[in-house]
Amino acid sequence: MSQSYDRGTVEDFGRWRSFTAGMWAWLFHKFTGWVLVGYLFTHIAVLSTALQNPGMYNDTIVGLESLAIVRLLEVGLLAVAVFHILNGVRLLFIDLGKGLEAQEESFYASLVITGAITVASVPTFLSGVF
Amino acid sequence: MAEHYSSFDRSGTKWLLQRVTAAFLVVVLAFHFFLLHFVNHAADVTFAGTSARMSTWTYFSLMVLFLVTATFHGVNGIHNTLVHRDGVDGWKQTAITAVLVVASLVLIVQGLRTALVWTNLF
Repeated sequence: MSQSYDRGTVEDFGRWRSFTAGMWAWLFHKFTGWVLVGYLFTHIAVLSTALQNPGMYNDTIVGLESLAIVRLLEVGLLAVAVFHILNGVRLLFIDLGKGLEAQEESFYASLVITGAITVASVPTFLSGVF
Repeated sequence: MAEHYSSFDRSGTKWLLQRVTAAFLVVVLAFHFFLLHFVNHAADVTFAGTSARMSTWTYFSLMVLFLVTATFHGVNGIHNTLVHRDGVDGWKQTAITAVLVVASLVLIVQGLRTALVWTNLF
């Protein structure tokens, strides 16, 4: 049964110091969700250059991928996507009644695996741009 | 401590759809990232390559479903974040819902228009 709490506001400065693992997981999931939705709209806008002509689409991709900042942002996007996926799986299991007793450990595991995949992907994302 | 806390109404259709789309997106988002950054490098993506992929029914239908489910999941998540706050009701809630519905429709229509440029299935 769902319950509501007076949780105050996240914006209350200093409150983060008393956050538990579950509250960080909630905050990170919201943050990564906002980033992914923002990226979805940006992604479709960039892909829409294909509506002009094939050359503009190709030039847009090549132009963006030649910028080091875009490659770095792609690494960040991967990190955001991987965390949202892993924490999402964690939430799905909890919604199914599995793993609530280990929800802190599964959050930490999500962070560690996200970090490992992100670091391992850096050579792939940065190849050829420097 | 409550046994369960969620900002979603668990009895609602949207609650279920958010979970069903999540399960689908976990797989398809990982596939999409892997295919276009590790199998094919993003810098090597071309109109011809995209067109070849989008001209198979399997890939085309998967990407269209990806667009629709990602839009629903993302925008519904934003909606829940914005609306389930103290003091957000009445006309504010209606305005937020209206803006998000319009934005979703624009995104899906633009995505479909772009998908149709790439494919030779029709």
